[in-house]
Amino acid sequence: MKEFKLNKEQKINTGFTTPEGYFDLFSENVLKQLPENEFKVISIFKSRKVWYYSVAAILILMLSIPLYINYNTNSKEIDTEILEDYITYNSTITEDEIVNLLETEDIEKMKIELNLQETDVEEILLTNADLEQYLLN
Amino acid sequence: MQEEKEFIKELLNPKTQNQAFQKLLRDYQKPLYNHIRNIVLNHDDADDVLQNTFVKVFQYLKNFKGESKLFSWMYRIATNEAITFLNQKSKRNGTTSEAMQSKIVDNLQADTYFDGNEIQIKLQKAIILLPEKQQLVFKMKYFEEIKYEDMSEILGTSVGALKASYHHAVKKIEEFMKTN
Repeated sequence: MKEFKLNKEQKINTGFTTPEGYFDLFSENVLKQLPENEFKVISIFKSRKVWYYSVAAILILMLSIPLYINYNTNSKEIDTEILEDYITYNSTITEDEIVNLLETEDIEKMKIELNLQETDVEEILLTNADLEQYLLN
Repeated sequence: MQEEKEFIKELLNPKTQNQAFQKLLRDYQKPLYNHIRNIVLNHDDADDVLQNTFVKVFQYLKNFKGESKLFSWMYRIATNEAITFLNQKSKRNGTTSEAMQSKIVDNLQADTYFDGNEIQIKLQKAIILLPEKQQLVFKMKYFEEIKYEDMSEILGTSVGALKASYHHAVKKIEEFMKTN
């Protein structure tokens, strides 16, 4: 069998060819395919447009900041003081109605612990003339 | 290297871009065509892949970090494009990349853009029997005469591994040429 050594043989080329003038036309074809705007000079109008967009974006941002802050600070829980004032001055609800609305638990919470001495009770009873009326009723 | 940096700047500058890109085309279209043609084998396919390669080079040039040579970066794009093309084409035809290449080699004689003799066809037949990586290394070394150092940068493989691949490829090809 005949010995075959690549480095000893004459160099074998691929044998591949191309159509005539292929490489001359190739450059033109590729240049046509490239994104057109990359080769164009950017028009003043276009760059102005970018400025308009930028200014508009800044304005929107500036207007939205106070709204955002307002939105965040508006807590969903109503301030107790405001609620109290509202009920005191604007409400037509009677005390009895409020009492009816209260649960036992709420009443428990409202209890104030007073450490009354006997003498203090006596003094209250003596100074408060209406109490007798209440007791009679 | 400094010269290359200047050239890349020209390619990125809209004022000089057109002329610089034309120079890039002039310098690289032939070697890149040969590289792609060696992989896809057919002229029309090589033409498609070469066009895609240059369009991609143009698109991604702004992302080119200069970590490797412009030459190896472009070869890397061309190699990836060619391999992806082959895989997609074989998938479309419901066959494998190897089977498709084998068919092309069998019909080489009838190819308008092939001007070779029996030994050239025999060599192509021997090459398509090699594993994909060995085929690539053999073609790049034997036909395109690319230095191992450059090939290492293109394929991301160590010089040692490339030399071993080439050595194995040559042994198998010589065996094929001797027996067939």
